[in-house]
Amino acid sequence: MKALIVFVTAAALLGQQSKPPETPPLQPFKLPQIKERKLGNGLTVLLAEDQRIPLVTLRLAFVAGSRFDPEGKSGLSETVASLLKEGTASRNSRQIAEELADIGANLDVNSNADGLTVSGNVLSGQFAALLELTSDVVRNASFPEDEIKLRKQNRAQELAFQRSQSSTLASEKVRSVLFGAHPYSRYLPSPASVNAITRSDLMGFRDRLLTPANAVLVLIGAIPGEQQTMDMLRARFESWTNKPVPTPPSGEAPKAARKLVVIDRPGSAQVDIMTGHATVNRLQADYFPLIVGTAILGGGASSRLFLNLRERDGFAYQANAMHVPFRDTGYVSAITQVRPEVLEPAMKGLFAEMDKMAAEPVTSQELSNVKNYLNGFFVIGLESQGGLANQLAALRVAGAPLEYLEQYVTRVRSVEPDQIQRVAAKYMTSKDAAIVVVGDAGKIAKTVEKFGAVQVEKAQ
Amino acid sequence: MNPMKLPLYLAFLSLLSPLGAAELNIAFEKYKLPNGLRVILAPDSAAPVVTVYLVYGVGSRSEEKGRSGFAHLFEHMMFQGSANAPKGMHFQMVESNGGNLNGSTHPDYTDYYETLPANKLAVALWLEADRMRSLAITKENLDNQKEAVKQERRLSVDNQPYAKAIVEDFPALAFRNWSNSHSSIGSFEDLNAATVQDVSKFFATYYAPNNAVLAVAGDIKPAEVKKLIAEYFGGLKAQPQPKAPDLTEPEQKEARREVYRDALARVPAVLVSYPGPKRRSPDYYALTMLDIVLTGGDSSRLYQAMVKGTQSVLGVEANLGWPYQQFSDYKDPGLYVVNFTYNPAVDGKKVVSEFEGEIEKLKQAPVSAKELERARNTLRSTRVRSLQSSMSRANLLALYELLDGKPELLNTELEEFLKVTPEQIRAVAAKYFVGARQTVFDIVPAPKKEDKK
Repeated sequence: MKALIVFVTAAALLGQQSKPPETPPLQPFKLPQIKERKLGNGLTVLLAEDQRIPLVTLRLAFVAGSRFDPEGKSGLSETVASLLKEGTASRNSRQIAEELADIGANLDVNSNADGLTVSGNVLSGQFAALLELTSDVVRNASFPEDEIKLRKQNRAQELAFQRSQSSTLASEKVRSVLFGAHPYSRYLPSPASVNAITRSDLMGFRDRLLTPANAVLVLIGAIPGEQQTMDMLRARFESWTNKPVPTPPSGEAPKAARKLVVIDRPGSAQVDIMTGHATVNRLQADYFPLIVGTAILGGGASSRLFLNLRERDGFAYQANAMHVPFRDTGYVSAITQVRPEVLEPAMKGLFAEMDKMAAEPVTSQELSNVKNYLNGFFVIGLESQGGLANQLAALRVAGAPLEYLEQYVTRVRSVEPDQIQRVAAKYMTSKDAAIVVVGDAGKIAKTVEKFGAVQVEKAQ
Repeated sequence: MNPMKLPLYLAFLSLLSPLGAAELNIAFEKYKLPNGLRVILAPDSAAPVVTVYLVYGVGSRSEEKGRSGFAHLFEHMMFQGSANAPKGMHFQMVESNGGNLNGSTHPDYTDYYETLPANKLAVALWLEADRMRSLAITKENLDNQKEAVKQERRLSVDNQPYAKAIVEDFPALAFRNWSNSHSSIGSFEDLNAATVQDVSKFFATYYAPNNAVLAVAGDIKPAEVKKLIAEYFGGLKAQPQPKAPDLTEPEQKEARREVYRDALARVPAVLVSYPGPKRRSPDYYALTMLDIVLTGGDSSRLYQAMVKGTQSVLGVEANLGWPYQQFSDYKDPGLYVVNFTYNPAVDGKKVVSEFEGEIEKLKQAPVSAKELERARNTLRSTRVRSLQSSMSRANLLALYELLDGKPELLNTELEEFLKVTPEQIRAVAAKYFVGARQTVFDIVPAPKKEDKK
């Protein structure tokens, strides 16, 4: 804390409030100690003991995301996720819900493109009970027919709700244009494919993919010491039969090419614009220059898109860019929503900002600001047990080593302007972007046509 | 137990017995500057992070007729620069120092916060003090932010299913006093009407040190933070205490019903509401426990009866002050609101009647000891989880000071919830869920154009 005293003194000496305070540089970040262990059946265990809060946070993540959904059964992974807690060989849905409430625990299951993750937390005194329930749902889920029926019925309505939102329609189309025949093209399943899923599909998915060597178990917080924790884990997970780990399905993604799609959403009060480029995963060399460049373009309120499209031009409330990493690849998107009258200048402005990333090097001030922004965001994200647990689980699902976390801050700091310019030319320019515009086609199609040949589709 | 007497660096949070009589000990100290600024410092070294949370006692319910949306528009103006931090600098200084920031407008308060790596604390304090002292109020900034807010309205209200119905039409049915019933996003007409003079007056009236609470939570040394706060905020002048708005609602004596046709919604939803209790009254604690029994998670009564049982509804959410507030910042007059998204094959009336059947059960028989214990455990663990973040600790300490004058409620309120009895829950069900006090607002998808042809 010496540094803190130094700046207090400096501010006091200046004795004026008109100058911003000088503060010491960001401290190097130290990860909490993480122990990696393995059970005899191949289950990887990551432990980070932290007794400051009487809470334990758990993640049990499998490489079992929607990319494993078979043809015509899109939605299988998410259906497995949503039904794991709806009955096991020895507990019905209501018993599971009540037992969790009895111990004040949370237990949720979610799936995304690459992984299926069980997330839980509980006050430390009830840690054993949460482990027991977690083990039961992943090993013994029974997928009762009446629960499957209810899930299908409700999922059809949820999907209708999700597709009533313009942002969903934009993301869905961008993914399908970018990834083509690769399973990453799936964003949401169709109601028909969800309906086609049977109990034996669900059991088969569980038996093939929810297996110990295909999983990582992350435990963070007030766990009872390594020895005792491992004994508890052996008691509940060691008898889980090991199986071969399937290779994640893949497919051919199209080459980057300019494509303009308008999704007709009659009655839209505004227009969503979303671009997309397929990129790289966390382990590829372009990754860090890409996430730093993406943040300069559209991360936070000091980014170019925010300052220019929102603050200067008043086109939009939101204008941002994001990078989404998958296990095999990733994609970068620029996103904004504008009123129909300013669609043309807003599209021009958005494309100009994207192209400028490739045309000119970023300034050293912008670069140093954004490095601090990303690194601060990373450190603040680890303030809660859940933040660290999510990172650890996501890394394993993505096939990335723990060193990724340890090196994150350093690798962000090492990015140079010429690297950003080079990756921007590869992944950010408007000339080969997928561009999806969602709005009332009758009002906007003519405007979008000024930017090239347009394919108009109806909202699903 | 006086939390302010605790040794400051000792306990971040201790629960004597995780599922027994839980006792929260968030260490903090509270003091006041001569200009009336209330300050709360909550040090802990759990993570090298700090949050500065500054809340002003003004919200959308303070707006005058013809100026709907003004408190929120003003919140935008707070990011447009001040004497020593020109436009854009606020965002840039926080983000380039590794922090994140935002502000939000609520019915009864407006808050601003920065979360940063701990050694960057001075940046946030300096920025907050500079804009409290010297906001740059110009026509150019105002016009620019009117456009940004209109765009925000198009994005988050006009272009979203349910949103306009929930933020404008439902409150207009459930409340009679304009201060309570108008939306916080405001109408285009009222936004257009706002002048630079309105902004200056609002700033002078409400954005004074004596109308604000500053909480700093995280990895801090209180003695050093006090020096900084004295230096940056000490010179600000107190202003006459603003008049509290008249929020009085006439008693609801008749059920109210409306059907709203939503062009963007594809799944129907129905809101059922009743006027709620006085904040911090025994009924407030009892109704919150009742809410957990009724809607808290998959084991709750409405979930089991209506999502799993009759399958009439897809989902249910509810709380005191929904959708803007939670029990922590609910302030009367307000509503207890239940929101059902329901199966299109079912009639909205059937959903309401099933709900009333469940309410009837609550009125007839006390909840079981087991069920109440579940609700208590849910509340305990939810609170412990939320207190991991410095943002959440600063937020609750500051709000409890602003709304109750008692930040120590963060440590003590749990006891008030935990001591609620089954009989009290039965009694609040009978007292509050009365037909004549009910408002039902049914949101049904409007027929598509093609269907009409």
